Amino acid sequence: MGIGWLAFAGLANRLAGVEARRPLSHFAPRAKHVIFLFMDGGVSHVDTFDPKPELTKRNGQPAQWRADELSQSVSANRKWLKNQWEFKQHGQSGLWVSDLLPHIAGVADELCVVRSMVGETPLHGAQSLLLHTGRSIGAAPSLGSWVSYGLGTENEQLPSYMLLNNDWVPNGGSQNFASSFLPATHQATPVRAKGRPVDNITPADPAALQRAKLDFLREQDSDTAKLLGGSDAIESAIKNYETAARMQSLVPSLCDVTGESAETLRLYGVDRANDFDKFYALQCLRARRMVEAGVRFIEITCPNTHGNNSPWDQHGDLRRRHEENARITDQPVAALITDLKARGLLDETLVLWAGEMGRTPHSAGTDGRDHHVSGYTIFMAGGGVRGGMTYGTTDEMGMSAVEHRVDIHDLHATILHQLGMDHERLTFRFGGRDQRLTDVHGRVISEILG
Amino acid sequence: MKRTAYSLLLLAGLGLAAASAAPGGGSWEATYHERQTWWSLQPVRSLAPRAVKNPGWCRTEVDRFILAGLEQAALPPAPEAGARTLARRLSFALTGLPPRPEEVEAFVHASSLSHYPTFPPAPAQAGEPVGKRESELAFERLVDSLLASPHFGERWARHWMDVVHYTDTHGYEWDAPAKHAWRYRDYLVRAFNADVPFKQLILEQLAGDLLPSRADTHTGLNESLLGPMALRLGERRHGDNAAAEGVTQEAIANIIDTVGKGFLGTTVACAQCHDHKLDAISQRDYYALAGIFMSTRWGARSADAVDPNEAVLAELRRHKQALRTALAKLWLNSREPLLAKLTALPADEKPTPAFPDSLASLWRQTQLRSTNALALATAWPKLREEFQREREKRATANQTNLTLVADFTRADAPGGWRWDGLGMKHGFVRDGELVVADEGEAALTQVLPAGRWSHAWSQRLAGAVRSPLFPPETAMTFSAGYAAGRHAARAFIVDQAFHSERLAFLNQPQPAWLTLTAGNFDKLAGGNDTSRARRVYLELATKSLNNYFPPRTGYGGLKESDVADARSWFGLTRVYQHAAGKAPQDELVRFATLFANEPVPESKEQLAARFADALLAAVTRWAGDRCDSEDVRLLNEALAAKWLPNEATNAALAPLVAAYRAAEKRLQPDRTIGSADDWNEARDERLSVRGAYTEFAAVVPRGNIRLLGGPGTRAVADSSDRLELARSIASDTNPLTARVFVNRVWLHLFGEGLVRTPDDFGHLGEKPVHPELLDYLAARFVAEGWSLKKLVRLMVTSATWRQASTTSAAALTQDAENRLWHHFPQQRLDAESIRDALLAVSGRLDPVIGGEPIDPHRTAQDAAKRLFSGPLDGLGRRSLYLKMTLMEPPKFLALFNQPIPKLTTGKRDVTNVPDQALALLNDPFVLAMAKHWGDRVLKDGATTPEVRAKAMFASALGRPPRGEELSRLVKLADRSAELHGLAPGALMACAPVWHDVAHALFNVKEFIYVH
Repeated sequence: MGIGWLAFAGLANRLAGVEARRPLSHFAPRAKHVIFLFMDGGVSHVDTFDPKPELTKRNGQPAQWRADELSQSVSANRKWLKNQWEFKQHGQSGLWVSDLLPHIAGVADELCVVRSMVGETPLHGAQSLLLHTGRSIGAAPSLGSWVSYGLGTENEQLPSYMLLNNDWVPNGGSQNFASSFLPATHQATPVRAKGRPVDNITPADPAALQRAKLDFLREQDSDTAKLLGGSDAIESAIKNYETAARMQSLVPSLCDVTGESAETLRLYGVDRANDFDKFYALQCLRARRMVEAGVRFIEITCPNTHGNNSPWDQHGDLRRRHEENARITDQPVAALITDLKARGLLDETLVLWAGEMGRTPHSAGTDGRDHHVSGYTIFMAGGGVRGGMTYGTTDEMGMSAVEHRVDIHDLHATILHQLGMDHERLTFRFGGRDQRLTDVHGRVISEILG
Repeated sequence: MKRTAYSLLLLAGLGLAAASAAPGGGSWEATYHERQTWWSLQPVRSLAPRAVKNPGWCRTEVDRFILAGLEQAALPPAPEAGARTLARRLSFALTGLPPRPEEVEAFVHASSLSHYPTFPPAPAQAGEPVGKRESELAFERLVDSLLASPHFGERWARHWMDVVHYTDTHGYEWDAPAKHAWRYRDYLVRAFNADVPFKQLILEQLAGDLLPSRADTHTGLNESLLGPMALRLGERRHGDNAAAEGVTQEAIANIIDTVGKGFLGTTVACAQCHDHKLDAISQRDYYALAGIFMSTRWGARSADAVDPNEAVLAELRRHKQALRTALAKLWLNSREPLLAKLTALPADEKPTPAFPDSLASLWRQTQLRSTNALALATAWPKLREEFQREREKRATANQTNLTLVADFTRADAPGGWRWDGLGMKHGFVRDGELVVADEGEAALTQVLPAGRWSHAWSQRLAGAVRSPLFPPETAMTFSAGYAAGRHAARAFIVDQAFHSERLAFLNQPQPAWLTLTAGNFDKLAGGNDTSRARRVYLELATKSLNNYFPPRTGYGGLKESDVADARSWFGLTRVYQHAAGKAPQDELVRFATLFANEPVPESKEQLAARFADALLAAVTRWAGDRCDSEDVRLLNEALAAKWLPNEATNAALAPLVAAYRAAEKRLQPDRTIGSADDWNEARDERLSVRGAYTEFAAVVPRGNIRLLGGPGTRAVADSSDRLELARSIASDTNPLTARVFVNRVWLHLFGEGLVRTPDDFGHLGEKPVHPELLDYLAARFVAEGWSLKKLVRLMVTSATWRQASTTSAAALTQDAENRLWHHFPQQRLDAESIRDALLAVSGRLDPVIGGEPIDPHRTAQDAAKRLFSGPLDGLGRRSLYLKMTLMEPPKFLALFNQPIPKLTTGKRDVTNVPDQALALLNDPFVLAMAKHWGDRVLKDGATTPEVRAKAMFASALGRPPRGEELSRLVKLADRSAELHGLAPGALMACAPVWHDVAHALFNVKEFIYVH
C-alpha cells in the first residue's frame, strides 16, 4: 500500500494549520468578534474627541512648544490652529464629542475614548503597519490574522478574517492584512463594496454544470487518492471544493442586504444617494451580518474620495475633507453600534475606531493639519469595554499624551485580552522563536475594562 | 527608545534563547569559542560514501549515503517511479513547465527498450560501477535536454528570487519602482542557463560593481554590474535618516538579513540589538557589516559593457559635420537680415539694475540712453567705461571668491566628481558643439559650451554626475555651471538613501549656475538622531540614471506623461566652491569686441553694424572651430532670438536634419539598473544601543564577521571592504556557503532540505540527518567549479530521487517525516508552475525569455501608486515576468503561496484552502485558459470524443487515462453537451463542451501535484 501521499498529507495539513482547532482561550472571553473601523490617514483628535480650550484661545499665535521628549518639534512658521468644530457634552456620561460627528455623539454612552495614544513615526506607512501588525516595517501578521489564528473559526464555511474595503489600498499595502508567517487561512478575505464582493465567488458555470464538474472531480480525485494509498490531502482538497461551492452562495447572501428592513437600511444610510456614503454604509451593515454569521475579525476601510495620500490625510482643505469623511462614516458607524446593541451583539463584539495617527494642533496655514503621533485619540465600544468614559490625557494644547499613555502594543494586548487571550501566550514559532503580536511589549489597559 | 523593525521581528526570542544559551554567564570571548564548535561552522569534510549492503541499488554516490541510512534503519527504499511519472517530475523540477505528451511517450518508449522499470535491478558486484542500460541512457538524455532548455534558467532564477526576495517595486507608501530590477532577473536567467559558476554569481551579487566587467556575448551587458540589485530588493522607504529616523538603517538591516540567511544560512541580523543569543555572532559583527553596506552607494548605473552605438554615432557625427558646414554658410550670409532685426529692437523703458547680460538687452539699454546720434556718441563712451569697470570688478570678485572643485571641460574631470552613462561618455565636447533638435521646427536646440553634456547626441542617452562625499560638519556652498531639461534632476543623497526626496527637477535650457549648499543635514528635524557626520553627496541624473525616477506620483509636479517619455538631459561645465552669497559672476567678456575700438558709433546704423559684426565674428570663430564659451553664449542668444536661420525646413538644412533625426532614433538608450558603487570613502559605523536608531556607542571597524575571519587588511584603505566580504563568502573553504546552497538545491528537487531550515544553519535551525551527504555534495559542488547544472544532474540521476512517492507502512511508522528519504515526497506545484502549466497546457504560453515586467491583472487600479492592471493572461508570459508590485503582488500567485517578497524565503508555505478551489473554479484567468484550450482542440482532427479526451488528459497530466478515467471524462463531455442543449452527435464541434472538459482537467488535483 502506498503511504507516501498520506505522509505528505499530514505534512501539508500541518503546514496549512487547517485542522479544526479549539480556540486558544487563556481565560473566559468577554468578546467573540472584533470590528475594526480603520480611519485611514489620521483623524484630527483636537477636532473630534479631545477639546482644547487653550488651543482655541491661542489660535493664530506662533506655535511655540517645549521640546519635551514626547512632542514632535514645531518649526518656526507654524501657528496654533483652534478646534475647528464646536465641542459639546453628550449622553448620560457627558462625553465630549465635536459637531463633526453628530451621529457618533448620539452613542456617546457606549464609547470608551482613549485620548492618549502614542505612535512611533509620523508616517502613514509605518504607523499603518504598526497599528495592523505591531511592527512599523517588515513582514509580521495582521492583528486580524492573530485573532483568527487564536480563536479559530466559528463558521467553517466562512473565512474568519474579512476585510470590507472600498477599492483603496491603505499605506503599507497588503501587508496590513496578511497572515505572514501564520497559516494562509488566517489572511484577510477582501470584500469589495462595489460590484462582486469577493474574487472568484460568482460561479462561472450554471449550477447543474458546476455540479457535473464537481461530481467528476470528486470521482477522479477519489480514485487518485485511492491509487496513491488513501490520502488526507486529497480528502481535504475534495472538502475544499465542497466548502468553496457552498461559499459561492453563502458569501453573496451574507453580502446581500436586500432582506434587511427599510428601517435598518435607513439607519445605516444604505439609502443615501452618494456612492461613497452608500457603500460605506453597506460595508457597515455587512459587518453586522458577518458578526451574526460567526466571522471573527472584520475590518472596514474608508474610501479615498480625492487624490490625497489617504482619506483623512488633510494637510490642507481640512474642513471640507474632514466633513466629507465624517459625512461618509459617521452615520453608519453610529448605526452599527446602535444595531449591534439592539440585537444583543455589542457585548460580544469589540468595535475599534482608530486611525494610524492624529493631526497636529498647529499648522503652517489655516485649514490643514499634519501628521501627529505623540498623542491622539481612538475609541472602542462594546466587547466588555466600559462605555461613556475617556481614558488618558494630552497636554493643554493636544500635543503629547501626558497621562496614561497607551501604545499600539497596549491596544493589541487589550483586544486579545477581551477575546480571552493572553498576548504573552498567543505565540507562533517562526524564524526560530515564538513570535507574538506584541513582541516584547504590551500591557492590558485594565482601567477601561468593565 | 524606538526599536528597529528587524530587532522586533528577528531578534527578541529572548525567553526561548536565554534559556538555552548563555553558557554560564561567561565572557563573550568564551561564549564565542564554544559556539564556534557548532557543526555548520566546521570545515566541509571530504568523505567517501559509506559501504552499503546493496550497492546495486545505487546509481550515484548520493545513493550510498542515503541507502546506508536506510539499511541502518532496516528500511527499504521505495521502488523506482514509472517513466511517465519521472518525465513529469523531471520537467517541472528542471524547467517549471509540464512535459509535452509526445516527449513523455518518446521517453517511455526509449526507457522500455530495457525492461523498464525494473526493480530491484540485476545485482552487481559491490563497488563495481553499474553498467548503463538503454533506459539509463534515455533518462540521462532527458535530463541533459532539460538542463539545456532555456526554461531551466527561468526555473532556477525564480528559486533564487525567493532568497533575495525579488520585487519590481519597493512597497511601503508609494510602491516606488525598484530601478529596472527586471534586468537583474534576466541576468539570473542567463547565468543559470550558461551555468556560470555560482561562486561568480555570489561575487557579482555582493560586489559586482567592484569586479571587472563580464560582458554577455548576446546582450553586451556588463553582467557584473547587474548583480548588486540582489542587495536592493524588498521594502525600501523614501527619504533619508535626516528626514526620518532609521530609513537607511532599516534597509541595511534587510540587506544584512538577506546576505546572512541567503548565502550563509546565518541569522546575522539577529545581532542588531545585542550579541546573538545562540550563534557565534556578536553585535559588533552586525555593525562591522553595517559599516560595509553604509559605505556603499546605491545609485543607478549604466550597464552597457559594449557600446551599442558606435556605428550610429559615427553616422551622427557625419551628419552633424555637414550640418555645421551648411549652417556656417547660412549664418555668415545673414548680415542684412540680422541688421534689420537688431535695428527693429526698441529701447528699454527703464535702466536695468545690473549691467546688461545679453546683446538684446545691451542694445535696448543703449537706445534708452541715446535718443539721437549725438547722444549715442556721448552715451557710448560712458557705457564703455561702465562696462570696463563692471568687468574688472566681476573678474576680481571671481578670482577672490571662487575655488575650482571640478572641471568638466577637461577629459579627466579632476576634482573627484564622476560621470556615468553613454550620454556622458560621448558628451565631452569643445565649445561650439551643436545640439540637433530631435523633433520640431528648429534645426538646433542650442550650441554647447565646453563640458560634459548628456544630450550632445541624443536626449535618449543617459547621464549622471556624482560628487564625492562632502566633508562632514560643514555646509559647503558651490555653484555648478549647468543646463538641464526634461526632468533631469539633482538630489542630495544623505546617508546612502535609496530614494532621496531631496530631489528637484531641473529646467534650465541655457547654461547657468546651479548654486547649492551641501549642509544642514546634521540634525533630524524633530528627532533624536543628532549625527554630525552624515554621508552626503550630490547627484545629477537624467531619468534613467536617477535612482528615484519616477518618484511618487505628483512629486515635484511631475506629470505621468513625462514618466513615459524617455528623454532627459543635462550637462556640466565647471563647479566652483565659494562662500554663501558669492556665486560666480558673469564677466561679460563676450561684449569686449563691441567696446573695443574707436570710432565711437554715432548712429543707430553704425551701432547695429557693430553688434552684427560682433556676432558674426563669433560665428566666424565657431565656423573655424575656434570659438570660446562667450561666443557660444552669443550664438545661443542669437538662436533664441531667431536672429540666425535655424529652421528645420530650410532647404539647405532639411535633408541633413532629417538624416540626423532618423539616425538618432536608432540609438539604443542606456540599459540602466539600480546597482551599487564604492568610492573608497568608507567610514565605520557606530554601535547602536539596543538597536535604537538614535543612541550610539563605540565605533566598530567595518569588515567581515568574526567567524569568517573578521575585518582583514584592505587593498585600498578607504574601500568599503565589500569585495573582501564577497570573496570570503564565495570562498571554496567557507564552511557555510556551499553547504547552504547545495541544501537549497536539494530542497527544490526533493521538497525538503537535508537541513530543513534552509535559511538557518545555526542553533535555532535543524541539524541534518545526513551531515556526511551534505558535506559530500558541498565538497563536490566546489570541486566541480560551483556548477549548478552538474549538481542538479547528480541529484536527479540518483536512485533516491527516482523513487516512487509511495512507501511501506513500516517506513512510515518508523520515519513519518521521511528524513531517511525512503520515498520521493509528493509536492504541490508552486504558484508559478500552476499558472505556467495552465498557459502551457492550453497552448497560450509565449515562451519568450526576459524583458520588462507585465502588470498583473487587477480588479481595481490605483494610479496614485501606479498599480495598473495588465492583460488577464499576462500576454501568455511565464509567471516570473509578472510585475512583482510589492504593495499588491499578483493575486493568483499569492493565492498559491508565492511569498510576500520582503524577507528571504528559503522554503515556501504550502496551504490547502478553499480560496484555491474557488480560483480554479471561477477565476477569469483559469476560464480564459480553458476556453483557449477548448477552442484549440476543435481543430485537432479527432473524430470521436474518446480520442480528443484522451489527448487532453495526457496533455494535462502527462499520462494516458487509466481504467474508468477516460469514460468518466467523456461522460462529463456528454453531460456538458446536454446542459448546453446540444443535439446528440454535435458535440465534437461544440466549443463550450471542450471548454468544460479543459476546465475540469485544470481542476483535477493531479494537475497541480507532482509525485
